[in-house]
Amino acid sequence: MENYRESLTRFYEKHHRMPSFSELMKLWSYKTKSAVNYRLEQLIDAGIVRKEGGHLIPDRMAGVPLLGLVEAGFPSPAEEELLDVMSFDDYLTPNKESTYILKVKGDSMIDAGIQEGDMVIVERRATYKPGQIVVASVDNEYTMKYLRRSTSFDKTQDRSLTTGKKEGEYYLEPANNKYQPIYPKESFRIEAVVTAVVRKY
Amino acid sequence: MAWNAPRSFPRAILHIDGDSFFASCEVAKNPQLRGKPVITGQERGIVSSMTYEARALGVRRAMSLHEIKRKFPEVIILPSDYETYSIFSHRMYEIVRRYTPVVEEYSIDECFADLTGLRRTLRMPYPRIVASIKRDLEQELGMTFSIGLSATKVLAKLGSKWQKPAGLTLIPLSDTRKYLETTPIGKIWGIGPNTSAYLQKFGIQTAYDFTIRSEAWVSEKLSKPGYELWKELNGESVLAVDGESRETYQSISKTKTFTPPSRSRTAIFSQLSKNIENACLKARRWNLSSSHIFFFLKTQEFKYHGCEIKLPHPTNVPQDMLRAVKDHYLSVFRSGVEYRATGITLMHLQDADTRQLDLFGAVRKSEGLQHVFTSVDALCERFGKHAIFLGSSFYAMTHAGHSGTRGEHAERTDALFRGENMRQRIGIPYLGEVA
Repeated sequence: MENYRESLTRFYEKHHRMPSFSELMKLWSYKTKSAVNYRLEQLIDAGIVRKEGGHLIPDRMAGVPLLGLVEAGFPSPAEEELLDVMSFDDYLTPNKESTYILKVKGDSMIDAGIQEGDMVIVERRATYKPGQIVVASVDNEYTMKYLRRSTSFDKTQDRSLTTGKKEGEYYLEPANNKYQPIYPKESFRIEAVVTAVVRKY
Repeated sequence: MAWNAPRSFPRAILHIDGDSFFASCEVAKNPQLRGKPVITGQERGIVSSMTYEARALGVRRAMSLHEIKRKFPEVIILPSDYETYSIFSHRMYEIVRRYTPVVEEYSIDECFADLTGLRRTLRMPYPRIVASIKRDLEQELGMTFSIGLSATKVLAKLGSKWQKPAGLTLIPLSDTRKYLETTPIGKIWGIGPNTSAYLQKFGIQTAYDFTIRSEAWVSEKLSKPGYELWKELNGESVLAVDGESRETYQSISKTKTFTPPSRSRTAIFSQLSKNIENACLKARRWNLSSSHIFFFLKTQEFKYHGCEIKLPHPTNVPQDMLRAVKDHYLSVFRSGVEYRATGITLMHLQDADTRQLDLFGAVRKSEGLQHVFTSVDALCERFGKHAIFLGSSFYAMTHAGHSGTRGEHAERTDALFRGENMRQRIGIPYLGEVA
């Protein structure tokens, strides 16, 4: 009896589930399922395993941690429930074909929580909106900033005279007081929008 | 002749061609390269791809870099980054697949697609579908494509070549004559210099001259491919777009150039051994075996010395091939000659599961090795390509294929993220650093 219990425990530890009848046939080298059943009855009598709703459940098997067995006979949730999970790939890069990565240099976006050495995931899109963190090329160099659009307040209009900024014009704003906003002149192009930041420790 | 058929596109076949693809991938990654003459192929010593700016200067494919540096010092020379090129290529296919499932992955920078019958589902006429595909490609990949749409593959291919770069050429059947009259016969896809010279003997100068020959004349004077070409040019689609996503290969080739060139019998054999290992790896990935192999050594004068070998039984285990190659290697190798590359081609590919036993038990022995390679492949899957390799490939695997400036590898391998390594990186194009 001890041998049967041990082999069952080993199986459970390896697969995190109880074996099926056909697997038990192999495990115990039986030729018929009725032989398996006979042996199982003995194990059930000994209180080592239980049968509930036609499913085999570990009871007093050595070394098997019994966690989360709330309701007896609850069907194994594995298959159905896992159909609706997504992989990290799907989560981080839902639009595979337009996704790119960059490595962050410097601390101009530190107040947005983006640090030097971080990986930023970006997407190339047709249009970009103010408020998004974008990657733009300014003088043929990539820069990552908030995309902003100057508003039509009187005050800002006044200031815009001094900075040469016109109403409704796009500009790039860093997330760090040490840096100045960038008011693009001629060579300015938004390349992509930041959709995620990945940092591995 | 189907040109006066009632419909412009009895079939709607698309050919897409990435403009100077490798160089464009580099420019798409790095904005500093925009508008500049850029070429790739630093590690090969010759130009393998160039931007239109470089072409405008006079740079041509296969020019030696030595010549480039002397004549065009302003040209930016980059090492090839095949990993990134493959990702861009795959993305190109996937974007086209959003519109139609029938996409033929013709080569790394080209594909055919069949749009026939999709107007209703996509709620657009063909020209709009094509424009939409082109916009998606260019916006998401950051490079330009030249596209042709017509009723057959051969005409679509003519269309994509018509206007480059960033061209979009629709050839409805009613316009075909106009295009073919101005196209020399040798410019048609599938007509090489020999066929072209042959046809010119019959007074055929343009593609149009060819199409007006009678069917009887064509089938008498040309073989089947020529006849099919004639039909395709006449607007009758006979070459189907093969939408099966690269399920199998006719042959598998692996060639690698190394620098400096070598005279060493053992070092060159090691290079060949590495190529054989890589070819076998690919064959196993597609579950194919080969019964005929061809290996060659390429001299510094670009001459090929090689030989074809029939193997005792089909195999995808490198030891089987190396055994066969070893016997012939010495008769091909000449001491004192400088070699610059080696290569191997596996031909007569067949399904690896169908095996025939032989008299002397060689197949059984090979089967044993097959098991070994199942494990080897599993290890390489986990730890990266070449985690395990044959002793005969040791020299080639441990010595960089290129020394000096040509030994420079693509930027990506120097800019690893935490958790990446030299062998395995995240499969997303890296655009560099951003401040």
